[in-house]
Amino acid sequence: MKTILVVDDELGSAEVLSLILEEEGYRALCAVNGRQALVQARDVVPDLVIVDYMMPLMNGADFARELRADTQFADTKIILNSGLPEAAIREHFGGYDAFLRKPFKVEALLELVQRFIGR
Amino acid sequence: MTSSTTDNVSPIERLRSAVPGLDQILGGGLFRTGVYIIQGLPGCGKTILANQICYGHVAEGGSAVYVTLLAESHSRMIQHLSTLSFFDVKAFPDKLAYISAFHELETAGLKGLMAVLRREMRTRKVGVLVLDGLVAASEGASDLDLKKFIHELQSIAVLQDCTVLLLTSGNLHRMAAEHTMVDGLVELEDKLFEARSERSIQVRKFRGAGPLRGKHSMRIDNDGITVFPRIESLYRIAASDTTTSERAVTSGIASLDGLLAIKGVPASSATVVIGSTGTGKTTLGLHFLHASTPEEPGLHLGFFEGPDRLRSKARSMGLALEPLEASGAVELMWQSPVEATVDEIAERLLAAVARRGVRRLVIDGLSGFLESTVYPERIARFFSCLVNELRNRRVTVLMTLETRDVVSSVVSMPWGVSGLVDNLFFLRFVHDEGHVERLLTIIKMRDTDYQAGLRRLKIDSHGMHIAGTYRADGDVIPSAQPVASPEGAAPSPSK
Repeated sequence: MKTILVVDDELGSAEVLSLILEEEGYRALCAVNGRQALVQARDVVPDLVIVDYMMPLMNGADFARELRADTQFADTKIILNSGLPEAAIREHFGGYDAFLRKPFKVEALLELVQRFIGR
Repeated sequence: MTSSTTDNVSPIERLRSAVPGLDQILGGGLFRTGVYIIQGLPGCGKTILANQICYGHVAEGGSAVYVTLLAESHSRMIQHLSTLSFFDVKAFPDKLAYISAFHELETAGLKGLMAVLRREMRTRKVGVLVLDGLVAASEGASDLDLKKFIHELQSIAVLQDCTVLLLTSGNLHRMAAEHTMVDGLVELEDKLFEARSERSIQVRKFRGAGPLRGKHSMRIDNDGITVFPRIESLYRIAASDTTTSERAVTSGIASLDGLLAIKGVPASSATVVIGSTGTGKTTLGLHFLHASTPEEPGLHLGFFEGPDRLRSKARSMGLALEPLEASGAVELMWQSPVEATVDEIAERLLAAVARRGVRRLVIDGLSGFLESTVYPERIARFFSCLVNELRNRRVTVLMTLETRDVVSSVVSMPWGVSGLVDNLFFLRFVHDEGHVERLLTIIKMRDTDYQAGLRRLKIDSHGMHIAGTYRADGDVIPSAQPVASPEGAAPSPSK
């Protein structure tokens, strides 16, 4: 079973996404900031992370940088999401595989998930 | 040893809010490092106000963080804010960030929440921190816990040079524990008056300075929030004695000036022209306006007739306004009487007066002000302050006021208007052997003599002029009669 780590400081949206992903047959885990997510990622080595950009403690960009710098996550795909436009984020960080502007439709997310890691 | 300890106490700096009018009612802005509660029911503008302060601080080179608990989602908030002119996407993420601390609150209580706030202040070096959802933070906490939380927040705010805004929709109608601790309490309200709603802001507590007390009206549009300080709280100084009979200002009608001892109305005085529809009030106002010059500029504030219609009307009487507008002698300003507050209109009016150094002002339709107020009991004080301020600015004002009775010899003055009148002209129709005549009567002139009596008034392609004396029975001699005040108290007679 493919593992997905959902990282969002707005815990409600992270939990909802996790439930949807579990219904689709994935193993989904939640974290509320980049630091907590990093601990979990090192433990489970997810196939995919869906990470929010603005978070306390460690933001999404810093978390993704840490993943990219660690070879054990060489195959982990990163979907970054934010309420901000992508252009505003790309100025600071571009090391993700896909970007979703919040609020997004679940179909758009599932299409990306399937494209990156299949079922 | 001559130094005193007070020499070492420097005043606390203010934080400019970037909310027009807010710093004015706060006496200069929020105090930096203060902890303030902004409270009000959902929809009253708390989120916009706090965000506007954040973006304003960022625009001045600072940084801010907006922390939510159980509140609107960040993405939805950004969507809503992105339609407002102050929204700046470049502020993210270095200068401004939206983060949620609900998980920490839920797992570790107020201590966990405090840890997040402390860390955000320190690591981001923010000058403004907003905590949206104080209600969620206070649920389950004792009064003592909440007081300790705010006390700790105050200590950190000072150490980190950060101003803290706590947004809440709870405890609106009672003094809560947190109210006693914070440095200030600002309340927003959106109140319905029949079909119309009016937003207001009130500073209920403000340590360290005296704000402009009471409710002030507030508008939310694409530029965010604008506060309009209540005019009575702004202009509390009595008018200087600038209304004298020594200097006359022409009415713009030579034959009318001829009835006045000083050949015009006293400079800086307030004249009300009262009469029913069609009697010539607007025409008299246009004559007065047409006498403006670039050196003594004029302004026309109309509530009912728009600029194009006024220009056309003036042109038909040989009083073309276009050349005067081109030379800067005249400005025409139109204002809808229904969707603006009286303070908003007064602010716009006084700004236009200041911008061009206006000396002649026509307010065509005082009832426009009367229709704009949702607090009729205010209107007497409002007019008094507005007219005093115009006098202080050496503006000679002519105002028109419509009466309901088309043919009447009684001048009914709305409550609030009678007290501001220096000079009162009454226009009306009379039936005279099958003809309808326009009459003008000077009812009162302050500090100057005038020829009383009934005067025939003619309006033709050369404008308005006095066409002799009208002789009639005593029942057409007018008498001034103010109507009752909104509170039902007997109003004082006109001055």
